[in-house]
Amino acid sequence: MSEPSLRSATDAEVRAALARGDLGPGPLEPGDPAVQETGLDQDAEVMGGAVRLPGGVAMPVQLERILGFGRSFSFWPLLFGLACCAIEMMALGGSRFDMSRFGMEAMRASPRQADGMIVAGWCSIKMAPRVVRLYEQIPDPKWVVAMGSCAISGNIWDTYHVVQGIDSLIPVDVYVPGCPPRPEALWQGLEMIRDRIKGSRHAYDGLRRIPAREAIAGEGTES
Amino acid sequence: MSVAAKMEPPLPASLAAARVQLEQRFGTRLLETTQFRGELTYTVAPVDWVDVLRFCKETPALAFDQLDSLAGDHLPERAEAPLQMVAHLLSHTHGHRLRVKTKLAEGQALPTVTGLWPSAGFDEREAWEMFGIVFEGHPDLRRLLTTDDFVGHPLRKDFPLQGTVGGRIRTDLRGKI
Repeated sequence: MSEPSLRSATDAEVRAALARGDLGPGPLEPGDPAVQETGLDQDAEVMGGAVRLPGGVAMPVQLERILGFGRSFSFWPLLFGLACCAIEMMALGGSRFDMSRFGMEAMRASPRQADGMIVAGWCSIKMAPRVVRLYEQIPDPKWVVAMGSCAISGNIWDTYHVVQGIDSLIPVDVYVPGCPPRPEALWQGLEMIRDRIKGSRHAYDGLRRIPAREAIAGEGTES
Repeated sequence: MSVAAKMEPPLPASLAAARVQLEQRFGTRLLETTQFRGELTYTVAPVDWVDVLRFCKETPALAFDQLDSLAGDHLPERAEAPLQMVAHLLSHTHGHRLRVKTKLAEGQALPTVTGLWPSAGFDEREAWEMFGIVFEGHPDLRRLLTTDDFVGHPLRKDFPLQGTVGGRIRTDLRGKI
């Protein structure tokens, strides 16, 4: 097997490989020398399998790796402060903590331009449909941070107006506890998001379900 | 003279003049008068509510052109009149403020003041939603802050503090997302 290559296979190469029966449709076996050569076996698990291509191996994995690397330095969250946690989120955006060091300072005011959302604060029942709608308007792939005890569980607001944890509405990647969390805590949460971006792991991908939709369909038992 | 009375600052001149006008016009219909730290508060009967507020707005010496706040209140220990409405008025012309209260029995309706200040619309919706005070003549008395399927008046003292409406989302999202 030749050196791993990132160039696209030409049509002729693909045709020739198909004729040879050399273009594996499924994942490479972990023991395959091509996988061992390139050291992609760990990623292959995460990504659902490397693919053998003529003149190289594991194109999707390498591509995802590069995309993930790029995405992890330009995670643009949705500008979405619900309550007092948003003040700490602003502190993280400010000059002392400065999350623009990691390309996260570009808070988008439109979900169409965002890569995910930081649900910062308690979500009122009236707000719940908007949270779901905004989440669904963010293009895939997307990541969600539940910031603060209220977003995680409703905190002390076991009352008439607060959703008891936004994971009853949307899939959550990282929970950042605190009331409110320090900017450092949110920073760590965003670092965990960056790890997940690099590995192309996200809650929606893992669960393949949106709890609010299941609640409507009558399948959810929680809500 | 008591210590508290000595420390009581005088009313601003414009408000003192307004007080004279109000008391000349309404006399004993102003049921209670309180002066505290330069603030003046009147309590009126519900039947006089709109009359007093209209006088406050339309008399040039008073000229309360802004309804700063209009809020409800629930005082269950006051059995004969557990509810009350409180209006905070502000005059940009004279720079003075006034507070007007009215006490309501359970189920007693109050005429709306949306005809005087359109901003009262939201305040009265909220007061109805949170305390169950009905405003006669309000153009659009709907729920404002809670969902349409909500039952009860949550800021009343007898409303359960802990949520009892089932589940974690606590509303029916059908048709809303």
